[in-house]
Amino acid sequence: MADIDTSGGGGKHKGGVRSKKMSTRVDLTPMVDLAFLLITFFMLTTTLNKPKAMQLNMPKKVEKEEKQEIGECQVMNILIDTLDQVWYYEGLQVAGLQKTDFSGDAGIRKQILKMIKKVPNECPLTSKGTKRDAIVLIKMMKGARYKNMVDILDEMDITGCKIYAIQEPDPIEVEAVENGGVVKTFNKDVVKE
Amino acid sequence: MPKVKIPRKSTIVDMTAMCDVSFLLLTFFILTAKFRPDELVAVDIPISHSTSTFDDAITIMINKEGKAYISLKESKTRFLMLEKMIEKYGDTYPQLKTLTDNQKQFFSLIETWGTPIEDMGRVLSMNGTQLQEYQKTQMPGIPKDSIHNQLGDWVQASRYATEGNIKIAIKSDKDTNIEPVKEVVKDLTAKDIHRFLLVTSLAGGGSSASAGNTKTGE
Repeated sequence: MADIDTSGGGGKHKGGVRSKKMSTRVDLTPMVDLAFLLITFFMLTTTLNKPKAMQLNMPKKVEKEEKQEIGECQVMNILIDTLDQVWYYEGLQVAGLQKTDFSGDAGIRKQILKMIKKVPNECPLTSKGTKRDAIVLIKMMKGARYKNMVDILDEMDITGCKIYAIQEPDPIEVEAVENGGVVKTFNKDVVKE
Repeated sequence: MPKVKIPRKSTIVDMTAMCDVSFLLLTFFILTAKFRPDELVAVDIPISHSTSTFDDAITIMINKEGKAYISLKESKTRFLMLEKMIEKYGDTYPQLKTLTDNQKQFFSLIETWGTPIEDMGRVLSMNGTQLQEYQKTQMPGIPKDSIHNQLGDWVQASRYATEGNIKIAIKSDKDTNIEPVKEVVKDLTAKDIHRFLLVTSLAGGGSSASAGNTKTGE
């Protein structure tokens, strides 16, 4: 099969008939073929990637809420709409809404990192005299895709943002996003959360 | 002058070594192989940079239409969960109390289910092929609105069954609307469960490199 006859032609000896010696060697090529076929099969059918998971902690509902001091300047709001767009603004007033996306370094990540850098340095100290950290409020609009929630939580993880919460968007925010970032009904007392 | 004979060298390669290696690999793959389970609920999970894995979790699957299903590997836990649910819903739906041990055993063989508890009796009296057909085409999902919070009850039952040693994973399709996911989370927080795992698959290399650290927030 896979070998070439190497007997050298001869073999005609004078005299008696000599029985031919059979080689004891077995051709293993088909066996190897089969083994590799099976290996390929098992390699392709095994699930090597175990599913990964990200942790999500939701707040407990407590009767007496421990009020945390939140300064206007440390809050960043992120709204995600149905078209995979990300809107963000700083502070508690819906103003200066800007649009971005999830595109790696240029998108929302850049803004979050900027905020994280800015807040401890520029915001006034708390009443206890400690530095403030950025707080990100994530608001998923009705009809947004689940993928985007995972994306934004992933961004939190990547940027190392420690304080964040998922909330329902305010009606005024919904309106602003629907109007392309422009707030029409000017509402001074946006509900402080 | 005698002819110089050039001995012809054999072209046979010894296959024994190669055969050894390939069978070794074959054995390894056979032993480590875990066949992809027959996915009854089609869920295309989103990607993230999270690298932590998990096991022993009750998985709540949410498909594209926003229907919820529960999946659990441990059959013993499933059995205990059903007992717990019968205890809870037996008064409202008396037919649950008539379930035989055989039917309960049958339930513990079902890894993924999405049947309202009131329908459980009918489903458990099906035979194997009927059940397969049902699972593939008609499973209506587990009720998860705030009035019929059966999903929350199932999860709570799983916590009883394992004495609290179970993680709760949410496995949702990436294109699912956010509302059913929120609903599930609300159902579970109503049952005093606040920690979840969102099942994702790891992002392909490259894009994560720029981020540097991917430490968890806590």
